[in-house]
Amino acid sequence: MASVPKPPKGHFNLLYFAGATSFTHKDYEPLPAPLSLAKLFAELEARYTGIRAAVLDTSLVTINLDYVDVPADGSGHDVVIQEGDEVAIIPPVSSG
Amino acid sequence: MSGLTTNDLRRRIACAEVELQNLRILLTQAEAGEREKQLNEEQHAHGDEKLTQNDSAWKWPLRVEEYERYARQLILPGVGVQGQLRLKAASVLIVGAGGLGCPAAAYLAGAGVGHIGVVDGDVVEASNLHRQISHTTDRVGHFKAESLVVFMRQLNPLPRYSAHTELLVPGNATALIGNYDLILDCTDHPSVRYLVSDACVRAGKPLVSAAALRTDGQLAVLNWPIGKGPCYRCVFPRPPPPLSQMSCAEGGVLGPAVGVMGVLQALEAIRIIVAGVQANTNEDAHDDFAPQAPTLLLFSAGGAALKPPSFRSVRLRGRRPDCFACAVNAPLRRMWSAEDTGSSNKNVVAGGETGVAWPDYVQFCGGDFDRNISELQPDERISATELKRLLQEEYSRKSEGTTATDTPRLWLLDVREKELFDMGAINGAVNIPFSRIQRCQKKTQSKELDALPDWLPEGMRTDMAPIYLVCRIGNDSQVVTRQLKELGLDKEGKRFIGDVKGGIRAWKSDIDSTIPFL
Repeated sequence: MASVPKPPKGHFNLLYFAGATSFTHKDYEPLPAPLSLAKLFAELEARYTGIRAAVLDTSLVTINLDYVDVPADGSGHDVVIQEGDEVAIIPPVSSG
Repeated sequence: MSGLTTNDLRRRIACAEVELQNLRILLTQAEAGEREKQLNEEQHAHGDEKLTQNDSAWKWPLRVEEYERYARQLILPGVGVQGQLRLKAASVLIVGAGGLGCPAAAYLAGAGVGHIGVVDGDVVEASNLHRQISHTTDRVGHFKAESLVVFMRQLNPLPRYSAHTELLVPGNATALIGNYDLILDCTDHPSVRYLVSDACVRAGKPLVSAAALRTDGQLAVLNWPIGKGPCYRCVFPRPPPPLSQMSCAEGGVLGPAVGVMGVLQALEAIRIIVAGVQANTNEDAHDDFAPQAPTLLLFSAGGAALKPPSFRSVRLRGRRPDCFACAVNAPLRRMWSAEDTGSSNKNVVAGGETGVAWPDYVQFCGGDFDRNISELQPDERISATELKRLLQEEYSRKSEGTTATDTPRLWLLDVREKELFDMGAINGAVNIPFSRIQRCQKKTQSKELDALPDWLPEGMRTDMAPIYLVCRIGNDSQVVTRQLKELGLDKEGKRFIGDVKGGIRAWKSDIDSTIPFL
């Protein structure tokens, strides 16, 4: 994870952790930027059917290592993910 | 030789070991008592006045054996005698004596934390030992909490240890957690994680929380500074959906991956104590106390050679203003204050809650941990014995050498993950891992045959042979049965699709006791 390559021009990097990696079978992937944060989950659901309920709704989301609240689509409190940003999907790990 | 059976011998060895451990404990206590007595006698003999002039009398804040034992950390800047005295005065409760609790306990005991409690209601099993490094083969069957205390006492007899051989539940959480300065969450299920966090908010205790599964770990210091830092609910307000919740028993875990997280918990605990946890227990008393912003540390043990182990730290926010547990006017706080003032009743809690001081954690996290789902009707399920009969029929048909061997008369699909299938499977079963089926789900919306997913075995989409699904314990097999029917493979009910009740577990108990069941 330390060596994620820079996203191509016009993209941001999306990092997957724990259960998100298990679901997508990816550690990261570049996605087209800019993208409204409120639309991120819908975008991922279109790519990975079922990921929203199984993973995203209970995950922590960060942009550039900072915790963000994902707003409901159309709520008006949106953040826009910019080109070159690093977004992470971090589902809770519970075992020990 | 002696006429004793192996069982007799095992029992006698176990008894002798318990007796030996008890004797060791008594010896440690007796030695400590003797030292104390000797010191007192010396002081009496010299008298207080003479003591100050007597260079050979002990006049240092730590005991002689403590200077020796803790020498390497005492000389560290940031620890010193004051830090060591804080460790000695501190008490830590380790919730869960498993893969996280064992390494954490080792370092806390080694560092000289004055009182270490362990709460765990489970007993040691052989499958724990690859990662729960403080338990031993000869303590299989003993309470984990007691086994961990035995380990710590052997490592360092100086601290005080308490083994609580019970599960942490709402009924005992406040009392247990209230007795300690700092709590380590080393548990293995979301429902207990929420309970531990809520109880720490209620009792005003910092919580060092860690978790690990497969090759991933997470670490966070919560409710720290007390009453200011986020709690577990602030970070993860909603529990993971039940079907995605996995324990180490189901998902597997790499020993060193969980070990790293437990060691990090001990590190955070020692840092907090040395910095002065006892001095910071008053919610309003430390405005000038500015620890680092709360973070969640992510650890990935890596996998293939190209993916080395790595850490990543993400910044969390403070408390959520709408947190269910720790917000200023949180619903849980209202429940607790109602309980504390003895006015706990249905009218106190807004929103028609039940009026009890704790939520139902098991229900909150989606139900019973080891639950069995029952998605299918009874006539869609067969027993292991029935499957055995069907397989025997198929086998004798094949051995008769009929020409129709190409078209099987039944399909047996084992939907466990490949690692489990490879360990041992029913003869004739085809492995299609559940995760692969779920990944391809999005392609399976259309009912046209050529749109059927590529994981279907050759021939299955066209022939009419019944399909039997088997998994580990009979949950995933029901899900896949539904999915195959939704794909139209049951040909409008003309073809049987069903699952084996109880899965490989039932097969092992009813048919073949030798098959490895993990």
